[in-house]
Amino acid sequence: MSNYFRMLVSSIKLRQFIYAQMNKTLSLLFLLILSLTTQAQNFNYGAITHDDYQFDRKTLDSNANAIVLKEFGTASIQIDDNTHSLVLIFEHHVKIKIYNKEGFKEANIVIPTYKDSNREETISDLKASTFNYVDNNFVESVMDKKAVFTENRSKYTRLTKFTLPNLKEGSVIEYSYILRSPNLFNYKTWEFQGDIPKVSSEYVAYIPGIYNYNVSLRGFQKLTDQKSELSKECLRLSGVAIDCSKMTYLMKNIPAFIEEDNMTAPSNFKSAIYFELSDVQNINGGKTFYTKTWKDVDYELSNYKTLGDQMKRKDIFKELIPTITKGSTDDLEKAKAIYNYIKKQIKWNNYYGVYSEDNIKKSLDNRSGNVADVNLSLIAALSAANLDAEAVLLSTRDNGTVNKLYPVMSDFNYLVAKVNIGDKSYLLDATEPLLPFALLPLRCINDQGRVINLKKPSYWIDLKASQKSTTNYVLTGKMTTDGKIVGTLLTHSMGYAAYAKRKDISRYNSPDEYVEKLDERLTRIKILEHSISNLDSVENALTEKYEIEFTVNDGSNNKQFYFSPFFINPISKNPFNLNERTYPVDLGAASDERIVINVTLPEKYELLEKPKDMAIGLPNAGGKYLLQTGLQDNTISVSQIMQLNNAIYQADEYLYLKEFYSKIIQNQKTEFLLKKAN
Amino acid sequence: MKFLFTVAFLLFISVIGYAQDNYDVDLIPASLRNRANACIRNQETVIDMRTPDNVMLSVKKAITVFNQNGEDEARLVIYYDKNISIKGIKGEVYNSIGLAVTKFNQSNFADVSAADGFSLFVDSRVKHYLPSVNEYPYTVVYNYEIRNKQNLIIPDWTPKPADDVSVEKSSYTFICKPTDQTRVKTQNYNGTPEVITDEKQKKTIWKVNNILAVRTEPYSPAHETYATSIQIAPLDFYYYNHKGNYTNWQELGKWIYDDLLKERKTLPPATVQMVKDLVKNEKTDKDKARKIYQYLQDKTRYISVQIGIGGFQPIAASEVDRLGYGDCKALVNYMQSLLSAADIESHYCVVEAGSEKKSMDPKYASMVQGNHIILCMPLKGDTTWLECTSQKIPFGFLSDFTDDRLVLACTPEGGKLLHTPKLTTAENLQIRKANLIIEADGNITGKMNTVYEGSQYENQEELIGKSITEQHKLLKETYNIDNIDFETVAFAQKKDMAPKLTEEITLNIRNYAPVNGNKMFLQLNTFNIKKSIPEIKNRILPVYINRGYTDEDTIVYTLPDNVDTTLIIGQDKTFKSDFGQYVCKTSIEGKKLTYYRKFILNDGTFPAEKYADFSKFINDVNSADYLKLALSLKK
Repeated sequence: MSNYFRMLVSSIKLRQFIYAQMNKTLSLLFLLILSLTTQAQNFNYGAITHDDYQFDRKTLDSNANAIVLKEFGTASIQIDDNTHSLVLIFEHHVKIKIYNKEGFKEANIVIPTYKDSNREETISDLKASTFNYVDNNFVESVMDKKAVFTENRSKYTRLTKFTLPNLKEGSVIEYSYILRSPNLFNYKTWEFQGDIPKVSSEYVAYIPGIYNYNVSLRGFQKLTDQKSELSKECLRLSGVAIDCSKMTYLMKNIPAFIEEDNMTAPSNFKSAIYFELSDVQNINGGKTFYTKTWKDVDYELSNYKTLGDQMKRKDIFKELIPTITKGSTDDLEKAKAIYNYIKKQIKWNNYYGVYSEDNIKKSLDNRSGNVADVNLSLIAALSAANLDAEAVLLSTRDNGTVNKLYPVMSDFNYLVAKVNIGDKSYLLDATEPLLPFALLPLRCINDQGRVINLKKPSYWIDLKASQKSTTNYVLTGKMTTDGKIVGTLLTHSMGYAAYAKRKDISRYNSPDEYVEKLDERLTRIKILEHSISNLDSVENALTEKYEIEFTVNDGSNNKQFYFSPFFINPISKNPFNLNERTYPVDLGAASDERIVINVTLPEKYELLEKPKDMAIGLPNAGGKYLLQTGLQDNTISVSQIMQLNNAIYQADEYLYLKEFYSKIIQNQKTEFLLKKAN
Repeated sequence: MKFLFTVAFLLFISVIGYAQDNYDVDLIPASLRNRANACIRNQETVIDMRTPDNVMLSVKKAITVFNQNGEDEARLVIYYDKNISIKGIKGEVYNSIGLAVTKFNQSNFADVSAADGFSLFVDSRVKHYLPSVNEYPYTVVYNYEIRNKQNLIIPDWTPKPADDVSVEKSSYTFICKPTDQTRVKTQNYNGTPEVITDEKQKKTIWKVNNILAVRTEPYSPAHETYATSIQIAPLDFYYYNHKGNYTNWQELGKWIYDDLLKERKTLPPATVQMVKDLVKNEKTDKDKARKIYQYLQDKTRYISVQIGIGGFQPIAASEVDRLGYGDCKALVNYMQSLLSAADIESHYCVVEAGSEKKSMDPKYASMVQGNHIILCMPLKGDTTWLECTSQKIPFGFLSDFTDDRLVLACTPEGGKLLHTPKLTTAENLQIRKANLIIEADGNITGKMNTVYEGSQYENQEELIGKSITEQHKLLKETYNIDNIDFETVAFAQKKDMAPKLTEEITLNIRNYAPVNGNKMFLQLNTFNIKKSIPEIKNRILPVYINRGYTDEDTIVYTLPDNVDTTLIIGQDKTFKSDFGQYVCKTSIEGKKLTYYRKFILNDGTFPAEKYADFSKFINDVNSADYLKLALSLKK
């Protein structure tokens, strides 16, 4: 599974081995150099050269407004002189060439740091300069210390902000700072890729021999070079000198990371190196494990105060259950009743999380909590009703995918419930009152989640939407002699389509007001009467029935006229109109839309022309579009099916999607030509 | 008699004090529920101006939220900075039958920076809180007290904050010393306030009851023009260690000039000399100013820093000279200093910027109006305006950001209201000419030239300077047509007081005119389709069109040989109304099919009953814009 490598560490009392588990993506060989240690390759501050100033962006990206010429970072773990505790010291040094005014924003720098009531990250030794070439000399404008602002953005975030002076098109800017962090767990992530291209980005991490990190490289870009060396006695702990492995990661000629529409989490694709602490060798012997096997994690989570312990709190619900499940005859009905109870009882406070903020009792009392509070309450309540309920840890779409090689708890940011009834299991999230039983919100539909069971080992489960986004339209009507269509439009929405519509309607004071707005928006169609049913019974299809009237023509030329049958959800714009795609396309959910139209004509007509009947599909059964139209017994009929079977399409499928939509758009531009029969 | 009245009043007060407030939602009259997403059951706002540096604001508010859309109104938001201290916040949440569900206090509030996203630094902060309630309707009741250490800006009163909110009752009480002088701006308030004066204080009370929620109507005037509001400005004020007094714009402008600006204008001697050298060959003041403006645009960039005196005082000109950046105040002040080095007079002008035009109120001077600064040069009758925060905008052009409105010029003689030039319907042009060749298979290739002027000058301006890939991407957003691609893209600018931007592109659109059987379907208006607008019955507010414009499109299609041109019948349309005009014409000459479209939208305010005409006009244009020809193909 992972590669292990060993490095001998000289230590007075102990002979020990350190293990560094490497992700597969990093499975390159490491060189062991025991005696030679080279110094950090940081470049000199302020040493601007003509090569820097005249760097030709064409060699990297002729579209660039600014380019990072050089970027160097180094991180190490040291003893803080004041607190005598271990801190991470991270030094960052950047040199950027600014080509034009569009690139000026690269000179507005924001460094976010973490803070809470106990711990905080600090920034020091900040310096920044602008270099301009004036009268055959490089002139340095040094940033004032007072031009640096710190802003307490929120409870946990502080921003250090600064901008550079005397910026001109062509300027080279340079800055460096030191960040001290009490967070050793994630060491310091290094992003090779940024929003502008980089000529070179190098990161040196000094990892003390007693610390063992899991390291993973994400993104499409390859490392240009990496090496591992021994750095002797880099840290002294309780009088013990500890050696470090000095890890160097170098990437050159890195393209800018450009976000695209409908993209899954950028962190899935942005080239960066991540660390997570696996274990620490204690000076006095023994090891403390941080990242472990799932077996260890299972045990810990099951007994964790804000996770496993909350799942066990059946006591809170024991007395409520008979009332909640009153009238439920089987387990499934019971589960539904409990799900509905929690949805109503605890409001999601819009925070994600896998741990309860305090405890579920408090959430129930306050009727408010984060995702974990809501769903741990659900699990506890289901268990109180003697149902088999488990917790599922997952990472939301915008948070990226999780590491499957070993447990990385910080990858997870969300928790849902799983209830097993008979031979079936259902994934439940009670944070969205408008979702039906067993349909997870779209944000949760992201690869796999880990099921935590209090008694059995944990396991992976696919996070799939149990329902598609489905809409059916049926229009039955007749055309009048003065060129109007009068009829009934019946719409059934299910799955995510119903959820979206219910959410939309709930924003209005009454369905009547919603329909009034709809009527105003549909300028060509008048809604004469309406009824909306199943608005509150989210388990059923949402049904809208509209008596409508709309004008096809003014009736003056009813001997022969054109008539477009594509007036319900027509497709006129191509959502995939670009020529290139780098990253997968995320459409949210698979969808299915069907339209059936039957319009009786006032007299006998002939159909001279009609849109072509179509049946087209996407490769690998990714989707299909079917269209059939005709005239029979004086009734115009249209039947259209549009299916997109995947939530996510790969980048190389983009052009197929583009062509798929283009074909539909072209066909929808054509019309019926009707001629009165003699 | 007066005595009697006071006793009655006191009794009334005490009754309220003792009564247990009942927040049962059923007690809200049906009329107040209609169209309301929230209802303010009761709000009491009391301002006690004890001394200029000690103004207490206390608010008690009970609001019922009917649905999710009403939650914005239930969120309690308090902005504060060094000049404001929050004395206490507490509240309760009641369910629909009026039972208390939860309580909250200051510790439940999120406390975040009020930075607006682009500022380098803003020193004001905001506390906000929204109760978590899952069942509608619910009622939030809270009260809080705030101490303002200034009285230049007195919290104003808008009892009905939005269209979708109804108000059961709301009151606003202003307490000051009987000797204090204040000016009051009363807007859409019926009746006169109640005034109670004794030796120690003068109390003025405004009250409203039962204001209904209304539907938000498109093309309406700004909410503040029809909402009830009271604003108060004391004569003598104190602000961040500054003292002053004003009753009109002249005096306020004088104070701004003397206290906030005058000391900020000194430039280093070298810069003064540089300016003199820069303009020594220019003959007129205007040419000199143009040269200096170019220097400003090359040297500086806009960075917002809002610190200290409420964002009212610019950093010194010498600082901008050294750093090369500043916010709108700093850059205007710097430009003004550079101009005065060349002996050119100019005025620092406070303006309410934004595409929607808002003027300073000529009858009521106050410090809360305006959010941006521009520069005005009188130039002996050839008044020229400068926007100093953009590095690209042409000299003397304000754009739709600050056109056609009253601004406050702060001059050494005091404040003066000036009117910025208007960009008119006839000037706001978009003139497009395209020559497109249609192939037999429906593909289109050709050239398109578009000229943008007036308020439309900036339509495509952001594309200039962007990389080619970026330009193509943005063009696909502007011309969002299936299968469109661009071969060449070029922009030219005429950067003067009446600027002009020309966009020249070669394009192709695969399968634009699909062939079906022996017909080719061609939508004539390719690039400029007017969006439809809602049709609203029983319109209440007047129709307000903020800015007019004129669009003209001429597209010449060269048809493929297999189209039977003899069968083409043009469908010309002409609509004319108070709101504008529309013409579309098709003509055929040999293989050339010419489509011409002209659309004029007039600005102005029109009576409410005219809305039906307006929506009909726009929606007729929308339908006509979709005009499609079915071209017969020769067999």
